[in-house]
Amino acid sequence: MINRIGNWMEDRIGWRAAWEGIFLRKIPKVNWLYTLGSASLFIAINQIVTGILLTLYYVPTPDHAYNTVQFITYELPAGWFIRGLHHYGASAMVILAVLHMLRVIYYGAYKYPREVTWTSGVLLLLVVLGFGFTGYLLPWDQRAFWATTVGTRIAGTAPLVGDFILRVIRGGPELSEVTLARFYGVHVWVLPAVLLLLVGVHMILVIRNGISAPPEAGE
Amino acid sequence: MTEDKTLSRRNFLSVATIGIGGLITALLGIPAVAYVVGPALKKQTEQDWIPVGRASKVEIGVPALFKVKIQRKAGWILNEQELSFYILTENGRDFIAMSNVCTHLGCRVRWVENDETFFCPCHNGVFAKDGKVVAGPPPKPLDQVQVKVEDDQLFILGG
Repeated sequence: MINRIGNWMEDRIGWRAAWEGIFLRKIPKVNWLYTLGSASLFIAINQIVTGILLTLYYVPTPDHAYNTVQFITYELPAGWFIRGLHHYGASAMVILAVLHMLRVIYYGAYKYPREVTWTSGVLLLLVVLGFGFTGYLLPWDQRAFWATTVGTRIAGTAPLVGDFILRVIRGGPELSEVTLARFYGVHVWVLPAVLLLLVGVHMILVIRNGISAPPEAGE
Repeated sequence: MTEDKTLSRRNFLSVATIGIGGLITALLGIPAVAYVVGPALKKQTEQDWIPVGRASKVEIGVPALFKVKIQRKAGWILNEQELSFYILTENGRDFIAMSNVCTHLGCRVRWVENDETFFCPCHNGVFAKDGKVVAGPPPKPLDQVQVKVEDDQLFILGG
């Protein structure tokens, strides 16, 4: 039965070629460090799913943000679990992405012909840090407020354009409801769009170029 | 070749991948469903006797409209909500309290003195003095709530 559905679909959309290209492609003999990219992808999916769930209740305005986070954490069934996955997943994401990058550096896997894969990966790390920075404000508690006060002030120390950058990030001279709303917008719309685009490029290139075998002495 | 008959490395890995993947999906999926439907399953808060007014204000044979304010919390906001009831007595001792929400689609009914009926303006639903359907689309009589009198004070059971 499953086979027949598979064949029916194959005749119409030709999914088997994509399946084989993605999951049955030949790879060199590698070690466990080569799973760090997949692990990052797994956490990214976790962040997307739990993040979407959080938006069902979270309201990004100063009079509701804190209360909705408390409501999610303490009153909804499994709300603590969903929020916890998103919260700790954020830390795991940064750690795994950095470890993944260190592995690529260590094995020299960023070299020809994989420079674009590497560049998209570096941009992805910046996107991940952007997620962390914008997401940190959203609970709208004391820690969020002051961490973002400090974080935006650091951006403001840039020479010449610093004050302008600070005002653009905060949406004004002070941290306010404008800051919260734009951090939310960036966190749930802008960064996910960029992330998906870059992940797409990154993975197409990984499949196209194949993964790099661990280099051997004398190569 | 016994390899083909038993579990090959390839099949083992497929089964393990699907198994662990399914487990992770369930581990996240089941709490996710609970999280989404949670507020829908929340039980109505404790019911309580709410004082609505003086029983002597209710004329015999004429439904009188009473309004009470109650505090309700759907999610994270404590809202003040107004509940309205028609209270009717035929003998000054036994009271019935009826919701003024039409059982058709939730509009408010009003008492029409001349016709001695409740009328709903939305789809011309008509109810008798005791709440029974007289005409129009309403599928059932007006909802009743429990009511009691203590020292001329009317209470309804709600929350």
